[in-house]
Amino acid sequence: MTSAAGSAPWDLFGYFADHREQVLELLWSHTWLSVLPVVVGLLVALPIGWLARRYRWAYPPIVSVTGLLYTIPSLALFVIMPTLLGTQILDPLNVVAALTVYTVALLVRVVADGLAAVPEDVLQAATAMGLTRLQLLRMVQLPLAVPVIAAGLRVATVANVSLVAIAATIGIPQLGQLFITGFQLSVSGPYYPPIVLGIVLCVALALLLDRLIVLSARLLTPWQRVVTAR
Amino acid sequence: MNEVLVWLNDPQNWTGTRSTPGIGDQVAAHLAYTAVALLIAGGIAFPLGLVLGHTGRASWLVSVANGLRSLPTVGLLILLYVMVSPLVSGRGDAVYLVPTEIALVVLALPAILANTYAGVRNVSPAVRDAAFGMGMTGRQVLFRVELPNALPLVFSGVRSAALQVIATATIAAYVGLDGLGRYVYDGLASRQFGEMAGGAVLVAVLALLVDLLLALVQRVTVSRGVSGRFSRRAAGGDGRTARITELAAADPDDLSPAAGDPAATDPVPVPEGSGGRSTG
Amino acid sequence: MNRRIAMALTGATVLLTALTACGESGSSSAGGSETGSDGGAETIASGMVLGGPPEFENRPDGIPGLEEVYGVTFGEFRSLDAGGPLTINALKNGQIDAADIFTTDPNIAANDWVVLEDPENLFAAQNVLPLINTEKVTDGVTAVLDAVSAELTTEDLLALNEQVIIDRQDPAAVAGQWLAEQGLDATGTQAAGVDLTIGSANFPENIILANIYAQALQAQGATVDTQLNIGSREVYMPGLQDGSIDLIPEYSGVLLEYFDPEATAVSSEDVYAALPEALPSGLTVLEQSAAEDKDAIVVTRETAEEYGLTSIADLAEQP
Repeated sequence: MTSAAGSAPWDLFGYFADHREQVLELLWSHTWLSVLPVVVGLLVALPIGWLARRYRWAYPPIVSVTGLLYTIPSLALFVIMPTLLGTQILDPLNVVAALTVYTVALLVRVVADGLAAVPEDVLQAATAMGLTRLQLLRMVQLPLAVPVIAAGLRVATVANVSLVAIAATIGIPQLGQLFITGFQLSVSGPYYPPIVLGIVLCVALALLLDRLIVLSARLLTPWQRVVTAR
Repeated sequence: MNEVLVWLNDPQNWTGTRSTPGIGDQVAAHLAYTAVALLIAGGIAFPLGLVLGHTGRASWLVSVANGLRSLPTVGLLILLYVMVSPLVSGRGDAVYLVPTEIALVVLALPAILANTYAGVRNVSPAVRDAAFGMGMTGRQVLFRVELPNALPLVFSGVRSAALQVIATATIAAYVGLDGLGRYVYDGLASRQFGEMAGGAVLVAVLALLVDLLLALVQRVTVSRGVSGRFSRRAAGGDGRTARITELAAADPDDLSPAAGDPAATDPVPVPEGSGGRSTG
Repeated sequence: MNRRIAMALTGATVLLTALTACGESGSSSAGGSETGSDGGAETIASGMVLGGPPEFENRPDGIPGLEEVYGVTFGEFRSLDAGGPLTINALKNGQIDAADIFTTDPNIAANDWVVLEDPENLFAAQNVLPLINTEKVTDGVTAVLDAVSAELTTEDLLALNEQVIIDRQDPAAVAGQWLAEQGLDATGTQAAGVDLTIGSANFPENIILANIYAQALQAQGATVDTQLNIGSREVYMPGLQDGSIDLIPEYSGVLLEYFDPEATAVSSEDVYAALPEALPSGLTVLEQSAAEDKDAIVVTRETAEEYGLTSIADLAEQP
């Protein structure tokens, strides 16, 4: 009945063995709570970023307003969301929406700058070849902006994995609950296993998602490989 | 929204009462936590970034520091508190301050280190060679050529770190300290929506003001020859993009070959340049 | 160039130092606030730091109640957590001298702390009872939960908490064991056809209780979903009201205070009697148990002996 594991940091393996099902469930919800906002955020940021690039006068206001969003403390945003969205307070959608806000705040500028980084002569050549504006965007600008956008996605993803953990204080199950469990049981001396396990899994998840983005960016930009392999 | 305005308009919240600190005190406490964390992080990351960038050695350290970004701050804070708590007895804030500051330093460190490193690495080899050719010593090249050229990126890193630390210093209140987070946590605990959201608004405003201040310092410090700011237009580059581009630029084994081999290509814009260009 | 940088660095340093300095002076009362009496005679309490949950500073039976009922004013209050690890460790390590923690906390016995008596009943009765969505109440559900409440005692709570908090056993296993000991684990169909989500606050005792409710209902055929460790009352109560969860273990006194801050009932019977009136429509409480877990002002054995403290009222004496 008693948990087999001790309370030292390295007993995290024993803790994991004892709570396998529960921990995997938390890991899974942590994963989609971090990834979904990045996907939605990118879809929202692409058109806004494009607008900011297309109409230069719109760049400063768009970038400042979206940048402002990034300074709102996450706990406050999580708690305010139900009022804004009309959702139930325990709805994971609140967390997804809040993190989407941060992701958009980060990516709008990245998308705009990424598009801006496409060399002018390339654009002129493409235009001369008769590409329409939409073709230009799809076939030239976006592909060439992939490295910059991917770099932005990496930052957003890694930040999200860390931010999701804060939602444990408002009852959304994810890895952050392991911190709270460990914290509560640290009264007759430190109880490391759940805390350390939570941190290890968060870091592993962040690094894994980071690698995935790097790999997909490589796949999307074959010309870069030639340069790097040189 | 109305509740927020009511709360922000109540003079008593600003002056505080004999028993509760006012907003001014909490802002000061919030800034103090931030300043201490930034000073420590800067004190470690800035010289380290300069040396690593100048020598081009041990770039894996930058990758390791970038890995720190994936540490969940709440988890780290709880872990540190649980570790420190049995060691500290007696009154005072030390048992809460130490874990909070370490967590904030860990948050600020990667941005400053990566940007300083990338800033120095990204100095054009031609410029560096010219400096050596003029007979400058290694130290002179670092301080007279590489550092001034790296400054825009260094500032981007510091500004991005400052933004993150100010927004995150809210968690100090989670372990019983002061700062603007007090309003967020107290408002939540006593169901005062206006207080909670008001606290959040104050954090955002504070972050903006500090960013503005640092932007001014940057404008004064960075040589025009580097920023290319010959007109009235402000040199762009702000913390947030910096975080992205710096990551792309500074992670030696990744997307951008820029850091490892500055001569290779420049597919990822250096924030200062790109920011400036696209504003114009 | 070099001078420019040196100048800027010096400037930045001076600026940050200034900020830090003014921050330090601003936060000299960090984490708390002076509630010290000015001019009044020095009391035992005025030299002490009290720790408790953030809302304790303003809630009627918190700082204001201590002052009004007992004339006790602490030198400083530190916002920590609701009887959680921050408060327990702070009392243990001397960051605070007195704490608002809960009477069934196993740390009190483990550390040989002293619970100060509350002769004026500042803290209302806090009997454990199920708070449930009215739509989910059936005769079967009522029978199952009433049977649990009939067996649950304060001693049980203490023992259950000790197993989870001190011995770090699994709350679900501890709950199952208790049900078996009480003979409440018989399977049946009393609650068949009922489908509910059981929630819990984010502290061990409430998680154990939610597990007990869940397992008892499951044994009687109910379909049970759990969402444990939700958070504080401010988070789970809206969840209960909007139907995200249907059932949660609650405490009579705080529940009454949550929905009726003006409530004056303190005895177990009065509080329970006042509850149906105070609860919003859609929520119901079932039969309450004898088990009680209430707020208490707790001090260490050394502090109690040093000042000869047995009751909260003693804190108003001169040292």
